Amino acid sequence: MILSSIVFLPLLFALIVAVWPKSNTIRHLALGLSVVEFLFSLSIFKHFDPSSAGLQMVEKFMWIERFGIQYFMGIDGISLWLVLLTTFLTPIIILASWTSITERVKGFHVALFILQTAMLGTFLAMDAIFFYVFWELSLVPMYFMVGIWGGARRLYATVKFFIYTMAGSVLMLVAIIYMMYLTQEATGQMSASLLDFYKLKIPFVGGTFFSLQTLMFFAFALAFSVKVPVFPLHTWLPDAHVEAPTPGSVILAGVMLKMGTYGFMRWVIPLFPEASEYWAWLFMLIGVVGIIYGALVAMVQPDVKKLVAYSSVSHMGYILLGLFAFNAFGMAGGLYQMLNHGISTGALFILIGMIYERTHSREISKYGGLAGVLPIFTIFFFIITLSSIAVPMTNGFVGEFFILLGTFQAQPVFAYFAVTGVVLGAVYMLWMFKRVFFGPEGELVKDEHHPLHDLNAREIVVLVPMVIMVFWMGLFPNHFLNYSKASIDYLVNNRSNYNLTIVQPGAPAAEQAQGGN
Amino acid sequence: MNNINIGLSDILLVSPMIALFLASLIPITVKVLRGNREQHPLVTLSQAMIGIVVAVGLLIVFGGAGKTAFNNGLIFDGVTQWMGVIALAAAGAAMVMMYENPSTTGKQFSELIFLAMSSAVGMLILVAAVDLLMVFIGLEMMSLALYLMIAMSHEEKLSKEAALKYFVLGSFASAVFLYGVAFIFGSTGGTNILAFMDSAAELVQSSRLFLFGITFVILGFCFKVSIAPFHAWTPDVYQGAPTPHTAFMATAVKTVSFAAFLRVIATKSLVGSDHLFDILQWLAVITMIVGNTAALLQNNLKRMIAYSSVAHSGYILVGIVTAGVSDNGAFGASGVIFYLLSYALMTLGAFAITSMMEKSENHIVNVEDLAGFARQRPMLALCFTVFLLSLAGIPPTLGFFGKFYLFNAAIGEGLLWLAVWGMISSVIGVYYYLRPIVVMYMKDGNAEVAGHSLNATTVTAVVMAVAIVLMGFVSGPIFAAVEKSLL
Repeated sequence: MILSSIVFLPLLFALIVAVWPKSNTIRHLALGLSVVEFLFSLSIFKHFDPSSAGLQMVEKFMWIERFGIQYFMGIDGISLWLVLLTTFLTPIIILASWTSITERVKGFHVALFILQTAMLGTFLAMDAIFFYVFWELSLVPMYFMVGIWGGARRLYATVKFFIYTMAGSVLMLVAIIYMMYLTQEATGQMSASLLDFYKLKIPFVGGTFFSLQTLMFFAFALAFSVKVPVFPLHTWLPDAHVEAPTPGSVILAGVMLKMGTYGFMRWVIPLFPEASEYWAWLFMLIGVVGIIYGALVAMVQPDVKKLVAYSSVSHMGYILLGLFAFNAFGMAGGLYQMLNHGISTGALFILIGMIYERTHSREISKYGGLAGVLPIFTIFFFIITLSSIAVPMTNGFVGEFFILLGTFQAQPVFAYFAVTGVVLGAVYMLWMFKRVFFGPEGELVKDEHHPLHDLNAREIVVLVPMVIMVFWMGLFPNHFLNYSKASIDYLVNNRSNYNLTIVQPGAPAAEQAQGGN
Repeated sequence: MNNINIGLSDILLVSPMIALFLASLIPITVKVLRGNREQHPLVTLSQAMIGIVVAVGLLIVFGGAGKTAFNNGLIFDGVTQWMGVIALAAAGAAMVMMYENPSTTGKQFSELIFLAMSSAVGMLILVAAVDLLMVFIGLEMMSLALYLMIAMSHEEKLSKEAALKYFVLGSFASAVFLYGVAFIFGSTGGTNILAFMDSAAELVQSSRLFLFGITFVILGFCFKVSIAPFHAWTPDVYQGAPTPHTAFMATAVKTVSFAAFLRVIATKSLVGSDHLFDILQWLAVITMIVGNTAALLQNNLKRMIAYSSVAHSGYILVGIVTAGVSDNGAFGASGVIFYLLSYALMTLGAFAITSMMEKSENHIVNVEDLAGFARQRPMLALCFTVFLLSLAGIPPTLGFFGKFYLFNAAIGEGLLWLAVWGMISSVIGVYYYLRPIVVMYMKDGNAEVAGHSLNATTVTAVVMAVAIVLMGFVSGPIFAAVEKSLL
């Protein structure tokens, strides 16, 4: 019952927070509960066998028998780190929002915990309908988060966010139902289990758009592409980020975008191997376009938050590129970059939130010379900037390096163009850093009526774990990659014949090592 | 038709209608005996509730055996049972709203309840009717009482206009329907659905007359359940009528009309005529689009829900078409019934909230009026949010599962394009369903419900919101039960 507990504990916490009578202790309560959740989620390691590619800690029973829909959860090397990323970021988010969320504090934490359940469920559900329920459910709390606690144009942004992502996923639902009928045709028994879907051999004809596998591929890929978001479906993202409150941005960038790339790894590539391979050029192309376009647009942003939002578009392009390279380097790099992006961009949004709280402005041109006034803040910002532009020894370097390595092996032409993104990334981040922190003091910085205070203890506590992760992941990538290696290798090598199996607890270790093979 | 035998079994089968009818007489009888003095509305309401509860009980006990009564005029099977229970429950909830809404509570409450109950009796006849003339009787009994209910709501001009519009168009629809019945009688020599059930597919091909007949009958239903382009009366009538009446029409009336529609479609006449099949598919698509896009433009909350109910008719029509062409009609029909169950709950809930917002008789509630509602009444705002999310089809609410089962059946029957259209148009729907939520939670204002006396409606709304969330998780067994009862 570990996985169920991990997923539904936050829902219970939401309930506790909702009925908690004292309003001035809600933050402490929520922080405590989210730390409990994080520590509890670490117990996965006690049972997780990194040598196996199979599905572990499985919990399943029939939910809607008529259609073979199951309550089905399992974890493997692909979802493991995404789950931990989610539980790791939540306490940080709560601590970071300590002073920025001042209204309807209770409602905020209730929404946050519901969102946590929805995201964890999305990563762990192995039944298509069960997955879809979590997938859509995650929209609702996020919608409220942006809409209630967001900035001036929050209503526009939140409705756009909801409609875009919902519109992206309805065709996926149709495709899921269709696949349930395909399983019925194949096995005589309707099922929505992902494991049964993997066994389907959906007819594919190259060169035409209208073959069944291609249509299904695009139905799924559209849903995930909107979520990622890939160019040109990305326009909801800058709006949502700019209007979202800091914790909303962190969750959005840190975890929710990963739901899209995770979807590609878990669903699109193994379910539609031929179509994925055939259309890989398209997704690599939009990945590369996203990298360069996102970087160029980020470069000219006057608003620092928007700059980071567009840098997300750029970074997510790398992940797409890595996944569609279809080799061990690309895939592993893609997965690693998902985590990196969660940490680095999450931290960037937190830092921007901190400076916004002090100055109530995010305009780059109004800053300048911040380094002299806020030295501690500057150091943290610098470290995260280095991680974001993938300087060696930081986490970002490992991810981007793997991705580019994988892409060179698969499609050198795309890799040439992608490399320019590395340069552009350095340009816009460092240029922004220069304008904000060095040079003559801007109007906000030298405002004598509002002297700026450097980070307090709480804020340092928020940032230290992120910085630790930046270096830990940058210096010892194997600590992390080893847990995912078996799953990734299996996905890469058996893509066209993917057959994830359930690892029975207590089976001899030798058998488990075989995993899905 | 010559030798009519009425036995005990007939009486037992129709006992729900009898009980309902007798209960409906109590309030006005008491009023007359008291010298035309109104008894306390709460007493009237309780009498009605007892009648409904007894009728539901009898329906559950006697209603589902698959037996026919009154010379095959009425059938009591799973459809009768489920749709009857949904309609009666919806009628009961609407009556609770009538008890507290400013435009319906007052001196003629006994008459109002009598009419509502009579209408409910007509509904029970309609869900059970398998003879087209019986269908007609049920339809008229239900509708006539409704015309009066809308017209008698005090001296409001909009209501009168609505009543007249409803009356004229409703009568027109009835006439079209009856015309169709005459054709069918002319071509087959009978009006009993069971009689031409198995041969309808061939009859449609061989007999022009029968095809005309069935087409007119279907058209009549399309009017009644507001399928575009025959939906034009819906927003006006829904807006003009007092809100509880609107809730009554949009849920109970629609449920039973779809039940009768389902019985006609179950003759598989669509299988015989490709044209009819195509036309109905297109009508479903048009209805979904028209309902959803028109709802986008509304500021009046009631009118918005009215258009959304047109869109939902479109979704249900997808299920009806599915049931009409499927070899396993029970699957499609269960999808329709399940959808109607979820639709009734969420629409009633939405109207209940609207009803509570109305401070006086002629009060029009616009979406903007909800500003600040979440602060003033967090519980009700949460309920309303649940209703709207469910209407939009967001999991894990009941509305999502309703759509899932409905479109699942359609996809299983190869009507993939209808399902795709349904999904796409439901995204349009999301936009206007989100608007009240935006206003409630994200805009400041001082929206307040009318008074503190609206307890019964509040309870109704809360019960429905809880049901929508909880039933989502156990939707599987419910669906299985519906399907099992139809086999």
